[in-house]
Amino acid sequence: MTLIPFVVARRSARLLAPLRALVARGWLREASVDAVLAQLHPAWRLNRVFSRLVSRRWVADDMLALTLQPNGNWRGAEPGQHIQVYLEVDGVRLSRSYSLTAVMADGSVEIAVKRQPGGRLSNRLLDHLAIGDAVELGEPFGELTWPHQAQAVLLLAAGSGLTPLLGLLRNALGKGFNAPVELFHYVRDAGQHAFASELHALQQRYQNLRVRPMLTTEAGRFSPAHLHAFAASDVLTCGPFGFVNAVNEWWSSTAAKTPLQAESFSPPELNSNASHRPVLMRFARVQQEVVGDTRTSLLQQAEAAGLRPAHGCRQGICASCTCLLLSGTVRDQRSGALLSEPGQAIRLCVSVPMGDVVVDI
Amino acid sequence: MRTDRLLTDSELAAFAAELDDLGRRTRADLGAVDARYIRRLRSVIRLCTAAGRGLLLLGWFPPTWLLGTLLLGLGKILENMELGHNVMHGQYDWMNDPEFSGRTYEWDIAGPSDFWRHTHNHIHHTYTNVLGMDDDIGYGVVRLFPEQRWKPFYRWQPLWVTLQALLFQYSVAVQHLRLDKVYKGKMSRDELRPLLRVFTAKIGRQWFKDYLFFPALAALIGANALAVLAGNAVANLLRNLWTFLIIFCGHFTERAAVFPREVVENESRRHWYLRQLQGSSNLKGGKLFHILSGNLSHQIEHHLYPDVPARRYAAMAVEVREIARRYGQTYNCGSLAAQFATVLRRIWIYRKPNGLGAQPT
Repeated sequence: MTLIPFVVARRSARLLAPLRALVARGWLREASVDAVLAQLHPAWRLNRVFSRLVSRRWVADDMLALTLQPNGNWRGAEPGQHIQVYLEVDGVRLSRSYSLTAVMADGSVEIAVKRQPGGRLSNRLLDHLAIGDAVELGEPFGELTWPHQAQAVLLLAAGSGLTPLLGLLRNALGKGFNAPVELFHYVRDAGQHAFASELHALQQRYQNLRVRPMLTTEAGRFSPAHLHAFAASDVLTCGPFGFVNAVNEWWSSTAAKTPLQAESFSPPELNSNASHRPVLMRFARVQQEVVGDTRTSLLQQAEAAGLRPAHGCRQGICASCTCLLLSGTVRDQRSGALLSEPGQAIRLCVSVPMGDVVVDI
Repeated sequence: MRTDRLLTDSELAAFAAELDDLGRRTRADLGAVDARYIRRLRSVIRLCTAAGRGLLLLGWFPPTWLLGTLLLGLGKILENMELGHNVMHGQYDWMNDPEFSGRTYEWDIAGPSDFWRHTHNHIHHTYTNVLGMDDDIGYGVVRLFPEQRWKPFYRWQPLWVTLQALLFQYSVAVQHLRLDKVYKGKMSRDELRPLLRVFTAKIGRQWFKDYLFFPALAALIGANALAVLAGNAVANLLRNLWTFLIIFCGHFTERAAVFPREVVENESRRHWYLRQLQGSSNLKGGKLFHILSGNLSHQIEHHLYPDVPARRYAAMAVEVREIARRYGQTYNCGSLAAQFATVLRRIWIYRKPNGLGAQPT
């Protein structure tokens, strides 16, 4: 139900400061305030960032670009960053992170969602989300930045790895970056060359840009030979782990001075046959990384690393040690169930990492 | 009197495996239905509370005053039991919805949620009915089992229990302060001070809301402030009596067992299951009764699976009862009146050092 226009809801975010203060001090329940605001406009909340879907268009056979207009709680984002998108599926508020392919002057952002076979959230976003629907967003994060001082920039993308690079590229060209830029986009089928018409238009408009759509079925996976000796001073790459790894090996073998800017995404590693091996555990809040094993609980391992997470019974009863699994897979020792949903609450004392994990401690 | 068969190690392992399996099956089945249930319940509570407070603004007119008071009391009971208690156990953490997050939920009752998460989720659920460890056994003012050492103070316990029932929410709130330890000098006043600050702040907010804000609001709009004040006080009283009734029937009935301190040394999960079954007692009743009790009428199932959404206990109870029967364990279940009569009997008998010739429990 929409009782007031979105623009009013967005502009009045600041007026709610007294309510925010009351909520922070425990005099009011945030959920109750949010319930009233949501009645007035579905994307209005006290603190949480909700957005309104403004437009949707297909940019590849399997990729949809969504333009979202966040409410007044949004603090802005930089191109090249990504955001969490939350949506409820079967009673569970799922979250996935998507790169911003564009950041508009009015605060709207564009993300591109690729259909994942069996993906619970992507399919819901692609098939069920209609113009005007409210979508919750998280805070933007990510450190890819455009090298404005570069003499020549090489962008290497594989699959949906194009999305953060496209966001950076559009922004840099718009701001007048005029050194040579080459963009290689590796995909399996021609229909997966996302944003082909936009990229074509950009190439027409900006003489310093060259776009090179690559098909792995024809040219094979990334090889330095594809670059035809394009002398890049800076390289940005994004794609699956294997791809980014190959780029990294090549770049570090050259005489390059600037470090590679890379981001990789990979499906969660599953290691169910209980072979014990070292895993990398990242404790996000304290920004600490330790090597652990796939045998002992996260609680014990965190304590061994000198952390002191809140806990109680140490046997999965009291829920005192509940915290969020940000990425990776853990096994619940009580049920043997594998949990790999990002943003899911897990109990440290009965959760064992099954691969590299990031936990919100 | 309980007649439990002593289980061999292999029997105990099989018993625990069956309970594990039931928990696993139930957890795997959680989804949209459970999410809808808890949201609807939350909305019903809002509606009851709002309607109750609205009716109380009509003054002393008996039909509206009574109905308003009852609705407000009902809202408070539901919020306390079926929503607050269960959410704070982390029963709905899987939804990943901040509104129903067990770590942050703050309930509408005198005791701060953080206190409760420690005294109840951790202490009571881990050390259920272990003498000297589970402070919920008589809350320090009532002697319910002959194994509890008698003190002259217990002679008047029928009076203490009556006071406790009338002021139950404060009795629960004060538990975490460990005033007994402070009194005996085992805890310093410096340790007490920060707890006391949280405690008084929460009670202050509760009192402000029920005994100042809403009466003042009534006076402001020309309604009868005293009628509002009285209605709020009676609603709180009703909630106190009801929660006292349900909670005392959970572990202090005639056939509930208590355990010596030694049992928790190196106690395995299997023994923990058995102890939960033996130390808890269920109440028979209809669907509405179960909801009003926060499904604590299925105390046995709640203690076996504290983090499974309580609306599932009724279905689980059928299987738990069958498992208990096969392993020769008493499944302690009776009507509210019958179970409460046995609790009252305990309170009466054990006020004396060797009540009824120290009848074994």
